Amino acid sequence: MAASSSNGFRVIGTRPIRHDGVDKVTGRAKYGADYAFPGMLHGKVLRSPHPHANIKSIKIDKALALPGVKAIVTSADLPALPDKMEAAGEQAINLNHLSMNILARGKALYDGHPIAAVAATSPHIADEALRLIEVEYELLPPVMTVEDAMKPGATILLPSLRNKEDGPDKETNVAAHLQFKRGDVAEGFKQADYVIEREFKTAMVHQGYIEPHNAVGIYNADGHATIYCSTQGSFVVRALSAAVLGIAEGKIKVVPAEIGGGFGGKTTIYLEPLSVLLSQKTGHPVKLTMTRAEVLRATGPTSGSTIRCKMGATKDGKLVAAQCWLAYEAGAFPGSPVGAGAMTIVAPYNIPNILVDAYDVVVNRPKTAAYRAPGASNAAMASETVLDELAEKCGIDPLEMRLMNGSEEGTPQTVGPPFKRIGFKETVEAIKNSPHYKSKLTGANRGRGVASGFWFNVGLQSSATVNIHTDGTVSVVIGSVDIGGTRAAQAMIAAEVLGVDINDVRPTIADTDSIGHTDVTGGSRTCFATGWAVYEAAQDCVRQLKERAAKLWEKKPDEVVFENGMLSPAQPGGELKPMSIKQIASRLARTGGPIVGRATVNARGVGPAFATVCVDVEVDPDTGKTQILRATIAQDAGKAIHPSYVEGQMQGGMAQGLGWGLNEEYFYDDRGILRNTGLLDYRMPTCLDLPAIETAIVEVPTPGHPLGIRGVGEVSIVPPPAALANAIYHAVGVRMTELPMSPPRLLKAILKKRAAGEAQAAAAD
Amino acid sequence: MKQFAVVAPADLASATRMLAEPNRSALAGGVDLLDMLKQELAAPAELVNLKALGGLDRIESVPGGVLRIGPLVTLNQLAAAPAVRERHPALADSAAQAATPQVRNLATVGGNLAQRPRCWYFRNPDIVCLKKGGTKCYAVAGLNRYHAILGGGPSFIVHPSNLAPALIACDASLALNGPDGERKIAVGDFFTSPKVDPRRENVLKPGEIIAAIEVPAPPTGARSAYLEAREKQSFDWPLAAAVAILALNRAGEVVHARIVMGAVAPIPWRAPSAEKILLGAKLDRALADRAAEAALAGAAPLAHNAYKIPIARAMVRRAILRAGGVADEPA
Ligand SMILES: Cc1cc2nc3c(=O)[nH]c(=O)nc-3n(C[C@H](O)[C@H](O)[C@H](O)COP(=O)(O)OP(=O)(O)OC[C@H]3O[C@@H](n4cnc5c(N)ncnc54)[C@H](O)[C@@H]3O)c2cc1C
Ligand code: SF4
Repeated sequence: MAASSSNGFRVIGTRPIRHDGVDKVTGRAKYGADYAFPGMLHGKVLRSPHPHANIKSIKIDKALALPGVKAIVTSADLPALPDKMEAAGEQAINLNHLSMNILARGKALYDGHPIAAVAATSPHIADEALRLIEVEYELLPPVMTVEDAMKPGATILLPSLRNKEDGPDKETNVAAHLQFKRGDVAEGFKQADYVIEREFKTAMVHQGYIEPHNAVGIYNADGHATIYCSTQGSFVVRALSAAVLGIAEGKIKVVPAEIGGGFGGKTTIYLEPLSVLLSQKTGHPVKLTMTRAEVLRATGPTSGSTIRCKMGATKDGKLVAAQCWLAYEAGAFPGSPVGAGAMTIVAPYNIPNILVDAYDVVVNRPKTAAYRAPGASNAAMASETVLDELAEKCGIDPLEMRLMNGSEEGTPQTVGPPFKRIGFKETVEAIKNSPHYKSKLTGANRGRGVASGFWFNVGLQSSATVNIHTDGTVSVVIGSVDIGGTRAAQAMIAAEVLGVDINDVRPTIADTDSIGHTDVTGGSRTCFATGWAVYEAAQDCVRQLKERAAKLWEKKPDEVVFENGMLSPAQPGGELKPMSIKQIASRLARTGGPIVGRATVNARGVGPAFATVCVDVEVDPDTGKTQILRATIAQDAGKAIHPSYVEGQMQGGMAQGLGWGLNEEYFYDDRGILRNTGLLDYRMPTCLDLPAIETAIVEVPTPGHPLGIRGVGEVSIVPPPAALANAIYHAVGVRMTELPMSPPRLLKAILKKRAAGEAQAAAAD
Repeated sequence: MKQFAVVAPADLASATRMLAEPNRSALAGGVDLLDMLKQELAAPAELVNLKALGGLDRIESVPGGVLRIGPLVTLNQLAAAPAVRERHPALADSAAQAATPQVRNLATVGGNLAQRPRCWYFRNPDIVCLKKGGTKCYAVAGLNRYHAILGGGPSFIVHPSNLAPALIACDASLALNGPDGERKIAVGDFFTSPKVDPRRENVLKPGEIIAAIEVPAPPTGARSAYLEAREKQSFDWPLAAAVAILALNRAGEVVHARIVMGAVAPIPWRAPSAEKILLGAKLDRALADRAAEAALAGAAPLAHNAYKIPIARAMVRRAILRAGGVADEPA
């Protein structure tokens, strides 16, 4: 089945059927909301209808008296936690803020902020009870934009918030100001023949995972608790829930369910501690699931932003200076991805003089969470459209412009050591050579745009065990949940190392008690780092297999060779016959017992990811509607383990980036209330809005990784909005600086341009 | 969601009797009604399941060229029916472009005409606006980018039905069955302006159901077109829609004209001024422009929806040109 692939690999690079496929297409796979337990109660969350208000009192008596209601909790039931950065598991986090996001303490900070949670015998009774909880609010003016939040005298969201620059005495909504600098931008701009400076605004957008958040908490009388939930990181859920609840981490077990999408949004906690707390109060398992409206109002979308970007180039297209100013909405608590935005904004290019200022700003919106290459899409919208304009001024093809200035091995990064071997220019070349870019685009109101993107990727910690069963089949146990083909890729790595058939490998995702610590699935790290652990664990098996063969053959382990799943004596000849894993597996009891390969990694030497995309659009100049005609993405995967799932990540990220660019937008009204709380009004693209996205996998292996893998999960979302903006410009001649470029906004820009043209024509008459 | 019972009426008469009781709702495809129940925007004690009634899901050709469409005919059925496609392509297209394939398989014609508005203040269970018996229309000072540009006030919804403008343009009528028997009204008279009563969208009386939709044969030589502009290709509502039905004589002069817009006003919005410009004139692009201009002449946008005016104008112009068989060259 698994046809042998190129590059000397037998399994890696082929496209076997995923191990979880049958369960998923037959509906048997268990997602978070599928869990049910005897005696289980149902929880619901009361949410603030106000974006900014002091909570004067919460009265729960009437609600508690409703038959069927078993418990109600508020922030008074949670321990007060220190208002400073502290370690929780593997991350440093302000636990007070985390706790206040689970249940508001003293203040409601966004429309949808949880105020109380109820457990009852049915979800309907729990719902009914919410209406009987009486909350007295003192309304405060909502602060909805970074501009308003940064104004002198702005209403303050968090009275204890300070930043280094303004000192310990000044109340502020600016949680942090970061600055990155190289060379001298003033000097740099002097060398420039062309300078383009524009201001951009991007809307707050949601990841739009189809499965809403969920959790079942079971608190045991012995003080231990189990949480079943859909998450990108069971160990994160354990660490953060333990911290918020004041329970020892080791007393919580998290069982990760199948996950119906996360894209970064399921890397933190919302319902999990509430389920445990309500279970503790009632002695029953308690399940909570969110509605779509709750997901949109009160989980973590990614930041809307204001970005100013100024770049200069010489006549012949050499970039000489870039100055950027970024302010991102953090939501109600600090922690927007503005730092990543600042570090990625010009990262694809070798620019001698840069100055980047970045501001993390709290506003009365939900606390943002990670979303695929967090912060980078906003930033690339600015820099990649300014670059397009510069290329036009210089009269240079935009891809050539990228090749001329592109980062490569040795180019200094915005922060940190110079790049090691990277595949940026290769992605540009791949687009240049793609059938798409080579095709001619004709027709009125049509345009083609290109853009590139960069993402760091991360390594972090993973654990893996690989077990050889007595029949020679293999099980791989990991702590990373299956997002986009994780099981298949991990099984393939084990099958490659062990030389066994992919169908003889069963991958299993373990709970937090059954596998060593494994960091969150984020930063495109899973195939890279968990894959590395699986690779090492399989190598551990190989080492042990050789020892066992040596024992049977009465030789030293280094006199045994292992190749393609066969053990054979290093010296051929003699009567010792090569043995397959299957053959030796049945004889393990006689050679020392079972073989379990183990490995843990704290993976360093991460290979950054680059992507370049090309988009053709047709704009209806009378309606402002953009139709995407064709889209192609080239991305450096280092080494594609399962190319279909690499392509899936490239297409998925690009689809989200195109939606971000064209339609997606949180609509808050002037009272600070979110108005589009469903997927009818929060417009994500459907398959009819997108063409089949063409892919070109580029493979520039990461030095240091045993298989050369680079993470592929995120960078695909970075270039699409900018590529769309560039394509729209080439179609109808308007430079869009605001996202999304939905019909109302684009039509306005087109009409403005037309009016200006007519005025000019009239003046000329 | 509140508890409710679903009852199966034996025949039309008992259905209307059941529905005349307080706190009852007719259930057809359930696409809108179930949403309303889940949001607790409606909490009827009993749903009277019209699907229990036989024979209401057919499209029949009756003598005289009239098509009699049962209220339980689904949007997909309507879009695909050869008789509809041939005689009333605009009507077929209005159904084909609504919602998504899944929704169109469930959604019925009757339910489509009687569905509630999509205004996000109306759909928010925490808000009691004018339409829900409150004192204020929140859209006026709020986010109104999808609201009415014509005929608005005191409520500024846009009527959500795709089919209604097409049916009006076809001069269709409805047979309404109630406890007091059957009455027949033009589809154009079915809808209620908020100026008359902001709490309702149509003239259905307690117990009344749409029992049939009758579409007369088109005038000789008439051709029709339905166009809508959407933000997305599917799973979306029009920003503006337009239906044009035109008949031209040999000289290329317009002898029959119906122009009706959707998604621009609290009721399907007929544009008699545009029809007047067209009638008797020779159809060309300039005439279509003038008619489209006239159709939107009275538009009064709110703070965030002025963009809908040029879009609606473009839809009207294009529908006229398409129905009239005149090529629309890019501007
Ligand atoms: C994602 C999505 C997109 C959509 N997009 C569009 C669109 O673009 N254009 C469009 O037109 N619609 C659109 N719709 C709306 C959809 O077409 C309507 O909700 C559907 O047609 C309602 O029909 P139903 O049979 O499901 O009605 P139900 O939900 O069963 O009933 C709706 C209402 O009509 C009443 N009713 C039903 N039948 C009768 C009858 N015979 N007599 C009297 N009253 C009756 C019910 O009591 C209820 O009040 C969309 C819906 C969704 C979910
Ligand atoms: S437009 Fe109508 S439904 Fe919407 S808020 Fe105003 S009154 Fe209510």
